[in-house]
This record gives sequence, C-alpha cells and structure tokens, in this order.
Amino acid sequence: MSTNAAKNLFIYGSLFCFLVLVILTIDTMGKLDQRAPEITEKVAAGKKVWHKYDCIGCHTILGNGSYFAPDMTKATERKPKEYLKKFLLDPRAIKQDSAMPKLGLSEEEADSLIAFLEWTSKVDTNDWPPKPILASATAGRTASTGQMLFQKYDCAACHQIQGLGGTAGPDLTHAGLKQPDVEWHIKHLKDPAGTVRNSAMPNFSHLGDEDLKALAEYLITLR
Amino acid sequence: MQYQSHKIAQNFYTASVLLFLVQVVVGLIAALQFIWPDFFILNFNTIRTLHINALVVWLLMGMMGATYYVVTEESESELWSVPLAQLQFWATVIAVTAVVAGYIVMGLNPQTNTEIFGTRALNEGREYIEAPRWADVLIVISVLLFLFNCLMTVFKTKKFTAVQGVLLGGLTFLALMYLPGMFYTNNMVKDQFWWWWVVHLWVEGSWEMIAAALLAFMLHKLLGADVKVLAKWMYIETGLVLFTGILGLGHHYYWIGTPEYWLWVGGVFSSLEPIPLLLMVWDAFRTTREVRGVVPNRIGLYLTVAHAIFNFVGAGLWGVIHTLPQVNKWTHGTQITTAHGHLAFYGAYVLLIIAMIYVTLPSIKGVKEFNQSRGFQSFWWMTVSMIFIVIAITGAGMVQTYLERLLGLDYVTVKASYNLWFWIFRALFGVGFLVGVLILVKDILGFGQKPAA
Repeated sequence: MSTNAAKNLFIYGSLFCFLVLVILTIDTMGKLDQRAPEITEKVAAGKKVWHKYDCIGCHTILGNGSYFAPDMTKATERKPKEYLKKFLLDPRAIKQDSAMPKLGLSEEEADSLIAFLEWTSKVDTNDWPPKPILASATAGRTASTGQMLFQKYDCAACHQIQGLGGTAGPDLTHAGLKQPDVEWHIKHLKDPAGTVRNSAMPNFSHLGDEDLKALAEYLITLR
Repeated sequence: MQYQSHKIAQNFYTASVLLFLVQVVVGLIAALQFIWPDFFILNFNTIRTLHINALVVWLLMGMMGATYYVVTEESESELWSVPLAQLQFWATVIAVTAVVAGYIVMGLNPQTNTEIFGTRALNEGREYIEAPRWADVLIVISVLLFLFNCLMTVFKTKKFTAVQGVLLGGLTFLALMYLPGMFYTNNMVKDQFWWWWVVHLWVEGSWEMIAAALLAFMLHKLLGADVKVLAKWMYIETGLVLFTGILGLGHHYYWIGTPEYWLWVGGVFSSLEPIPLLLMVWDAFRTTREVRGVVPNRIGLYLTVAHAIFNFVGAGLWGVIHTLPQVNKWTHGTQITTAHGHLAFYGAYVLLIIAMIYVTLPSIKGVKEFNQSRGFQSFWWMTVSMIFIVIAITGAGMVQTYLERLLGLDYVTVKASYNLWFWIFRALFGVGFLVGVLILVKDILGFGQKPAA
C-alpha cells in the first residue's frame, strides 16, 4: 500500500465510521423516551440534587462513576424509602460505621433525589445489573413460615445473616442471642423507631399478629 | 536550531509534571480513603475529582507543549505568534487554578455549589467533566487560541507534513468532541449517552490519533527513520484506531438504558480495538531494529517503546478482557474498570508525554549529552509500582465480581472486608509510584543544569 492510499483510507474510512455513529445516535435518541418512565418535575429536580452534591464522585449510577460506594441505579428497588430518606439526611445517625458523611441535604432535596432514583430503577437497562446466581439458585427453597416471610419482605435488602445480605441495617446473624425475647421483636417490627433510637426501618405493623409472631420466632432462632 | 517558541513548550512541560505530582499525591490520599474514609479534610468525591481532572489537564498541557514543539520543528519556523502562545499558557494556568479552588470550596461546603444559568457554579457533578460551564467556555477559548496559532504557523510556512496533519487533526477532533458535554439534559440516560461521546471519543479516538502522530515524530527524531515509511504506518494505525474506536463507543451503551443493538455494535468493534495498538508496538520495534549505530538519547527511546507496549497492554488487553457484553454484564461498574483505567492511562498517555518531554527537552535546552540515570530510575519506580497497583486492583475487581455480582454479597461487605488487603497493597505501591514521580519532577525541572556525569 502506498502512503497516499493509506492516507485516503484513513480519512474516508474514519468519516464513514463517524457517519454510521451519527445515524445510530439519531436512531437511539428517538428510542430513549420509550425505554424509561416519564420525567416528572420532581425527578428533574432530583437529578439536579444528584449533580449538586457530586454523588457520582463516590457512587456509580447505571454502572458509571467512581466505584467507591454502591451503585445507585436500583437503590430504591430493595431499600425502603423511609430508610433512604433518613439515611440521606444524616447517614451516620442511622448507620454508625457508614463511609458516607452528612452532606447537608434538605428534606425536600432528599425527597426529589429519591424520586430521581426511583426513575433510574425503572430504566430499561437490558437487564443490568444481573441477578446474582446464588440468589436465583436458593430462591424457592423450603423454609419455615418466618423464614419465608423474611424472604417475602426482602429483609436481606438491609440485613445480613451469615454474611449474605445488605449492610444498611444491623447484622442479624446473632439476632436471637442479642435479643431472645419474641415479644420484643414483635414490638420492634410494629414500631422500630419507637423501640430503637434513630432507627430508619419502616414499620411492619400491616403484617398482622400471626405473621409478626412467625417472623419474630424465626429471628430468635438466629444465634 | 533554537526557537523562542520552544520556551513555550518548556513552560507547558513544567506545568505538566507539577500537576502530575499533584495528581499522584491526591491519588495516594484517595487510596488511603479506601481504607479510612475519613482520612482527609476533603471527602473522597472531591479528592477523586482532583485526581482525574489533574490527570486530564496535565496530559492536555503536555500535548499542547509537545504540539508547539512539533509544529515549530516540522515547519522550521517560529510559531505564528509567540506572545499569543505565552498568553494562552498563562490563561490556562489561571483558569485551571480557579477551577481547582472551586472544587475545594465545594468540597468543604457543598451548599456553595449553587445553580447559575441552569448549571452548577463550582462543580457540575458529572464525572471527569466536573468543570463548571464558565470554565468550559474558558477551556474552549484556550484550545481555540492554541489551535489557531498552530494552524496559522502551518499555513504560513505551507509545510503540510503527515505528522502535523494527523496531530492537528487529532487536536481539532478533540476540541470538537468537548462540545457534546456542554449542555444540560434532565434525562440521565441522554446525559450519560453524550457524556460518553466526550470521554470515549477523547481517549479512544482523538487522543490515540495524537499518540500515533507523536510516536511517528519521536521515532523519526530519535532514530532518523524514513519519514515516508513512518507516515504510511501512522495512517494505517490511525485509520484502524478510528475504524474500531468510533463504533467501539458502543461498549459504553450496553447497560445505560440504550437499545439492545449496541450490544452487537460495541461488542464487535471494541473487540478489534487492540489491533492498531499492537501494530504500534510492532512499528516501534521494527523501526528501532533497523537503526544502525548508537542512539544517543537512550532514555527517550526507552520511554517511547515502553509507551507503545503499555498502550497495548493497558488500553488494549486490560480493555478487551471485559469488553464483550457477556463478560461486561458481570464486571460493569466494578474495580476491573478501575484497573483498566490506571494501566491504560499510564501506558497510553502518561508514558507518551514523559517520552515526548525526554525526546524534545535536550534540544529545547540546547544540551547534547545529559545524565540519563535519573530518567531510568523514575521510569522503573513508576512502572513497577503501577504494575503492582494494577494487579492489586484487578484482584479486587475479580473478588468483587465473584462475590458481589455472582454470589450476591453486599457491596459494602466486599469492599470493607474481603478486599481490604488489596487496598493496602495498592496504597503501598502508590508510595512507590510517588517516589518515581518525585525523581521525574526533580530531573525535568533541573534538566541540563549540571554537565553529564
């Protein structure tokens, strides 16, 4: 190949590739609105809060960001909103060892940010992040009523047992040793904030006495 | 031949290596914050912003210095306007200082990051392009002044060489690709879509064009290799970089809410991205082998070849391991990306700029012989440290992918317990890297002052 031929190939080939990119971009832009829910005023305000506090300087969203803190794309999918709000306002009041400092968000900012994160959780991301294989493998395994309730209400989103589960709330591996009283657990499930100071856990009084008892009985078996 | 314009190149080099030092110091702070989040007065997000912005700016300033040098030498003339270049240098330094001050103020009190004209006053909160809109405008003006000066020089002397063409073409492409990041959208998917235009088409497009041009320039300058042959391979390399890189952009559009066809576009084209980088390695070796006799600037040649090799390993291999959608589905957003980022930037651009500095500084300073041992020392401190940093982060990424993504363990558990040793290793080798940078800065700032030992 002569130098001139190489030069022409480089120039026209690159321009052609760029043209293809532009065409694909136009096509994509036309499709994006159908792949995500409508952007309300609150969602738009939440996105501005996201930028104001430079959240992406620690977190990732849609998998892009700083890898220092958890991905936020599906944050609202498993964590209760009451918890997220209290946590955003003062992370270390809720979780003493949290790496996240108090950034000074107002209540209104926290609400909009949560609305924004609810929006991202509903974006069609081609099934990302994938469901962990262990979660798929153990789903539907036979268990006690209390254990099934634990799964049904996704308590593991915030609580760990034997290393598996979230770290937003206290580790429950030895929950039965720390608090062996069934009645205490029932009372706590009905009104967490009234039982434990600064608790950000939502209340589960809607479960009904029978289920609450079953759940509490399961919790005291954790030793 | 000595030119006044070379002094400008030297100013840019000095600012470059000083910012490099800043980048590595804040990088070390960031590494320690992985172990102790409260280690420093500024939170991780501000430190990380400083770490990456310092990197981007010092590499850009290095490229500007290198380009002022190349244009002067290839045109065999002073720049179209030396005072304009001087003004552009100081304007850049002042703008960068103002932006950094803004980041620090915002980091100390986030409430200062108010909204003006629909965007943020001090930190836009968009990764890598955090610089606020007023700074964007200053950056664009600075780059336009720089391009205008270089292009006027070329048009004045009418010496349209191949190296100048690809170099200035790459820089123009770079300037244009900054624009898609300069508007606000309330849709996060569109935000990230255009943001990747800037980030990807910079580092895997225009910057690689600049790298190919500077590689050809250095091989000619160091070895006196045939310009025609170098030019041919430069066109082939740049062509392949863009054929694979432009549509390789698709590998960022797998999971951000974009249509499924990007899985194919990104998977196919980005898998081919290592090919031109391998070609550059072969080019460097072939040219070096053909030369007879002694090469006086050994450190310059060493760094040039090292740049070609680590560009291929860091940007090529460490990129291609997680570029297929089937793999990326599990690794996306993990430390695997961080490991790739570190080795790719070190190989593709850090070594490129340092090589350019060592290749051109002797003639800028008018020294024929200089003590090269400090250059080698800094190279080995930095390179060995970087290899171990990358091994540590790759290990952390593998553990994270397996435990968090495959088994479903919590992010915080994996980071705080299972990966702790990796963070400790990374910080230790970060100290080693800092030693290398200190040696480099000392050598560059005092270059040619003492006679050869």
